[in-house]
Amino acid sequence: MKHLLLIVLTLLVPIRALAGEPTQQIPVRLHSVQADFVQEKHLKILARPIISTGTFIFQAPQSLRWEYQSPIASVLLMHDGKLKKYMEHDGKFQEERGMGLDSMQVVLAEISNWLDGRFTDNEMFTVSFPDKQTILLTPKEQGFAALISRIRLKLADQQGLLDEVTIFEGPDSYTRLTFTNSILNREIPVSRFNVR
Amino acid sequence: MKPSALPLLLLLLCLAACTTQSRMSLPELTVIQDETSRGDCTVIFPQGRWQFTHAIDFSLADGSGTIVIGVTSLDGDELACVLMTIEGFTLFEAIYREGEVLEVRRAAAPFDKPAFAEGLMHDVLMIFQTPAAEKVRYGHLADNTPVCRFTGDDGWITDIMLTADGCWQINAFTPELTKDRSLVGRSCRSMDDTPIPAYLELQNLGRAGYTLKMRLISAENLNR
Repeated sequence: MKHLLLIVLTLLVPIRALAGEPTQQIPVRLHSVQADFVQEKHLKILARPIISTGTFIFQAPQSLRWEYQSPIASVLLMHDGKLKKYMEHDGKFQEERGMGLDSMQVVLAEISNWLDGRFTDNEMFTVSFPDKQTILLTPKEQGFAALISRIRLKLADQQGLLDEVTIFEGPDSYTRLTFTNSILNREIPVSRFNVR
Repeated sequence: MKPSALPLLLLLLCLAACTTQSRMSLPELTVIQDETSRGDCTVIFPQGRWQFTHAIDFSLADGSGTIVIGVTSLDGDELACVLMTIEGFTLFEAIYREGEVLEVRRAAAPFDKPAFAEGLMHDVLMIFQTPAAEKVRYGHLADNTPVCRFTGDDGWITDIMLTADGCWQINAFTPELTKDRSLVGRSCRSMDDTPIPAYLELQNLGRAGYTLKMRLISAENLNR
């Protein structure tokens, strides 16, 4: 379950804000996860939420394919310590530059921590457990908290999966990701993480 | 001069000529006196409550750029605008109310500069709101394109042209009569008698020098 949450964080947390120190390498328990997701962006001023859909694939220790099908096609690939993002411009995919890759690698280091279930050891977040199915993450650093006030994780019944992640930017602004069709520990070809 | 440099020089001269042409002056207007033959240009601006979502391809003059999601919410005299990343992170959120100071609710770097907020709202108002004008004249250009010309009390001039394909184009000119912005709508479809473009291209011809290509993701009339 935890790697889903971390993947989500990797993508949704503003990269420059994540300036924590890398943590030591932790053994990974799960091999891979893939799922579909629906992303809803809610803001007070929006009469309707903005809906995005996509799929993601994660393979331990640090390979990720995070892909939006709508409303804008884009693919983020992480593999072998490298991060690339492609977006569709005028019908053609182009690589995005200047993404703050070093900071993203710091986040990836955090992922290993969370995969091992060490929420209480996290340097970036205070972690609480309101109930058995929910984990709340609150940023420790004030500058980071100004961008993201808290993150709520809803665990799925099946071990290793999340049902929902909600990232709260402020009292009236949040992004909710809902996961479906999750598949655990299926073999993933490496090409999925380095070829658009 | 080396022979190989000549094509480059010609290219630069051509580009300079193109630039000069694109930053052209206010074209001459032949005024139509007959009120019955005037087109109503304000029909292009949505009335009441709407929500528009666009994919905005933002290109700077140096070729760099990115794509963000832009949401514009209209409610009478109130206009709210949000820019967000594809991943859902809010980059910029502001509300404009006529006659009031722009309320910026959230602005993440590099969108936290006051000039950015001002420029963005200028662009958004150009797309969605009838220009404030103390004088409106109707006529046509030298090529017979029909035009509604709005002149503001600040000296800015806005030409709105309803094009033959059912869409529209807007050009804004400075008080010095130099073209400052160009906005072209394409592939319009009528929604509640308002021609809504599937594509918009806004060119800022001033010092900022950027182009916004906007693809309509959704347009919702919330009056219904």
